[in-house]
Amino acid sequence: MVNEEYLPYAPYPSPTGTAVAAPPAHGGAGPSSGPWFLARANLGLLLDLLGEDGRTVIGPTVVDGAVVYAEITSEDDLPIGIGDVQSPGHYGLVSRGDRRVFDYTVGPLSPKRWTFPPVVALHVGRRDGRAVSFEAALVDPPKLAFFGVRACELAALGIQDRVFLGGPYTDEDYRARRRNALVVAVNCTTSASTCFCTSMGTGPEVRGGYDLALTELDEGFVIRSGTPEGADLIARLPLRGADAGQMFRAAEEVGKVAATIGDPVPTAGLHDRLLAQFDSPQWAKVAERCLSCANCTMVCPTCFCSSVTQRSDLDGGVSTSDRVWDFCFTAGFAKVAGGNFRSRPRDRYRQWLTHKFATWVDQFGTFGCVGCGRCIAWCPVGIDIREELLAVAPPLAARPEPARPQPIAATPGSYATARIVSVRNETEDVTTLTVGDVDPAFLAGEFGQFAMVAVPAFPPLPISISRFGRDAIDLTIRAAGPATAAIIGMEPHDEIGLRGPLGTSWPIERAMGHDVVIVTGGIGLAPLRPLIDELLAKRDHFESIRLYYGARTPSDHLYREELRAWAARGDVDVQLIVDRSGPGWTGPVGVVTHLFDKATWDGGRSLAFVCGPERMMEATVRALEVRGLSSDRIFVTLERHMECGIGLCGHCQTGRLFVCRDGPVFALSQLGDVFGREGM
Amino acid sequence: MATVAARPRLRVGVVKMASCDGCQLTLLDLEDELLALGERFDIIEFPEASSLRSHGPFDVLLVEGSISTPDQAAEIVELRAKARLLVTIGACASYGGIQALRNWSDHDVFRAAVYAHPEFVDSLATATPVSEHVKVDAELHGCPISPEQLREVLVSVAVGRRPQIREESVCIECKRRGSVCVMVAQGIPCLGPVTQSGCGALCPAFGRGCYGCFGPREQANTRSLSDTFVAGGREGEDISRLFAGFTGWAPPFREVIREFGGPPGMTPAGSTEGERDVRG
Repeated sequence: MVNEEYLPYAPYPSPTGTAVAAPPAHGGAGPSSGPWFLARANLGLLLDLLGEDGRTVIGPTVVDGAVVYAEITSEDDLPIGIGDVQSPGHYGLVSRGDRRVFDYTVGPLSPKRWTFPPVVALHVGRRDGRAVSFEAALVDPPKLAFFGVRACELAALGIQDRVFLGGPYTDEDYRARRRNALVVAVNCTTSASTCFCTSMGTGPEVRGGYDLALTELDEGFVIRSGTPEGADLIARLPLRGADAGQMFRAAEEVGKVAATIGDPVPTAGLHDRLLAQFDSPQWAKVAERCLSCANCTMVCPTCFCSSVTQRSDLDGGVSTSDRVWDFCFTAGFAKVAGGNFRSRPRDRYRQWLTHKFATWVDQFGTFGCVGCGRCIAWCPVGIDIREELLAVAPPLAARPEPARPQPIAATPGSYATARIVSVRNETEDVTTLTVGDVDPAFLAGEFGQFAMVAVPAFPPLPISISRFGRDAIDLTIRAAGPATAAIIGMEPHDEIGLRGPLGTSWPIERAMGHDVVIVTGGIGLAPLRPLIDELLAKRDHFESIRLYYGARTPSDHLYREELRAWAARGDVDVQLIVDRSGPGWTGPVGVVTHLFDKATWDGGRSLAFVCGPERMMEATVRALEVRGLSSDRIFVTLERHMECGIGLCGHCQTGRLFVCRDGPVFALSQLGDVFGREGM
Repeated sequence: MATVAARPRLRVGVVKMASCDGCQLTLLDLEDELLALGERFDIIEFPEASSLRSHGPFDVLLVEGSISTPDQAAEIVELRAKARLLVTIGACASYGGIQALRNWSDHDVFRAAVYAHPEFVDSLATATPVSEHVKVDAELHGCPISPEQLREVLVSVAVGRRPQIREESVCIECKRRGSVCVMVAQGIPCLGPVTQSGCGALCPAFGRGCYGCFGPREQANTRSLSDTFVAGGREGEDISRLFAGFTGWAPPFREVIREFGGPPGMTPAGSTEGERDVRG
């Protein structure tokens, strides 16, 4: 459940330099640390004592419909009898009508606002003639007491301690503020639907870093100290030892909260899982909803990014610099003179999420998330970070296998019959059969898959499926020999045998949010047609779409009406070329790569799908690589002799791969130097 | 400071097109620094403050208001030629302003409804931002503009650096300020997430949703926000009204208004024709 390796509670140096000891577990405490019992009527005394010590108390109070941290002076300021309801994009208060003060969960503010304020003066720069000077701002923070701090918030303070104080250079402003703050923590006896501290290993029970810790019961508070300062306060309060029943109920209440929250974000392997998903299509999906408004990072109790602002007088002689909160979601955050490294919201979201759950671990040894759920509740459009994590980097057990519909007629001997609905001549030697009454597995097939097609007395043939209709599929076949001629010669109502669908498919998901380049020749357009159908059906999910299509002569282009229709849409760049010109052809003549030799698009943001004769694909791949497409972004489909289509007959082996079973669609990187070795 | 003082004073002009004058008054709101401004800048045209007129040329020309009449359309071209830097100030000059709501409607019907002798009124069918007519060097947003941002632009020109105006959502000012989000906590529709900061998140601090007077920010995902309003039970005109404010003519907001049936109160009544191309 919890990935111990990344817990924020490995001993870290406290702001004062002494190690913060983990507090003893329930029941095992010594006499100085409690647990003690504080009667409900005496809670105000604790606030009074903190005031007497010259501390400003920052505690929970209701402001504008939320429980927030603010300066409080008496018990009356506390949210007595107030609870909250939270869900993605929503936060609301409820009145419970009891006297309990801590039965709310975390609100939009956290102690970060005081340890790492939104604006902090840095220095004043002066120019006097040729001389310049910089005067650092004084750090003189007030003495504070944080009151009602939750386990997740304590963990967040621990994380910020690592960020600001754990490295070779430290933030003295933070150190001063942190050192001056006393912490009165509270164990959670209630949770919101947005909580996931249990997954992050931070709560609901406080585990260290506090001066005093309270657990609320109906009649009062079980209280313990974690530091000498806490023990000093204990000594000045009217307390008695907590009895066994109280200690039991305190532990029980907290335990119930942990059980309620469960383990919504499995963190095992999360670091590696997430970093493997730099190109996940989910980034583009979440960016459709993400406003890049930065609310998630602003309410986050650990996010620490900042910028420096200058305000100068009219002649630039004196300028004041402040450090202000800044966020990886703002336009200027990754901008340099030449452009913006993360101009798109999807890049910004990826930066944020991968930092929180992966690269933060590399930098600071803990996750950057404590599971407080603020980013879920306070996202104006309700994006749930837990769902995004599961979608981007699902845990191994839950990772969906590439859907392989189990063909009913799977074994080499069995064929299901299907009926030809229509026959259409595409070119002089290419025909498309529309086949109905097919096994339902075909209708659930994936783009790029093929079928074994059989007619009695002829060897079965692997034929790629050139369209998935509602109740029929298309097979586009070139007359290349007796078997293909036999199939092409059939008429509507004739029956044929089919097995499948078989093989791998075009990874259309990976293309989401990318530019798409399709390069094909001759009948190679057939297995790409279902992919193109899908790209156009979900046009908004892709950036530019380019189709480069070569054929021997103008009359050898397949699907000519559809090509015209695609070109007429205006959102697909369709370019045709022929080896030899013919009547009426005014387009270019040459090999297909000529179509983009001089194009200006940048392959760095593209995925390519390529199908054609292997020699043509080799030339295409070289041209694409020159344009910046890496081999894991180029997908090809191979043709081989197949008898079985399921990896048993051995005909289609190339290198260590069976084209039927491991392909026919491959990432170029998967093929390695096998690609082209045996090509025709 | 000798080097600085030796620089010539920069010639600044303030002119207005169709507007309420509130933005140029912001210059006078820089009360504490007016004297220093006067030393550094020679304000040679500023009708709200002085009856002195000038014909330029201007080092900096602050232009308030949208282009709403044929005269203004001609005048802005002449003014541009006299200005080294032209800076639009406010929602009208930068986005067309509230008066751009007429761009969706029949101009003549409006004119006849308001004026006894509409034939005396020589106005364009549209109110458009200055940038649709001439090149603009910088835009200040808001209704009215932020005095701090105006000051920053003047200082940056005087010092010779880029103005430091942050490109970020109103939410960022709202949360830096410590306000509780009105949208999440109270269900009040708010344009803060898609609106450029600069106002200090004034409206949400007083329990009101942002009405977008600083205009759309970069990457304004108005689609996702309006989807969220719809999911929250709002529909049609309710949503177009939210976006059809002082910056409704800015493209990302305009798109939402069009999608939800145009701004409320379009003429002729019930027209769903939507916008017309202002340059057509």
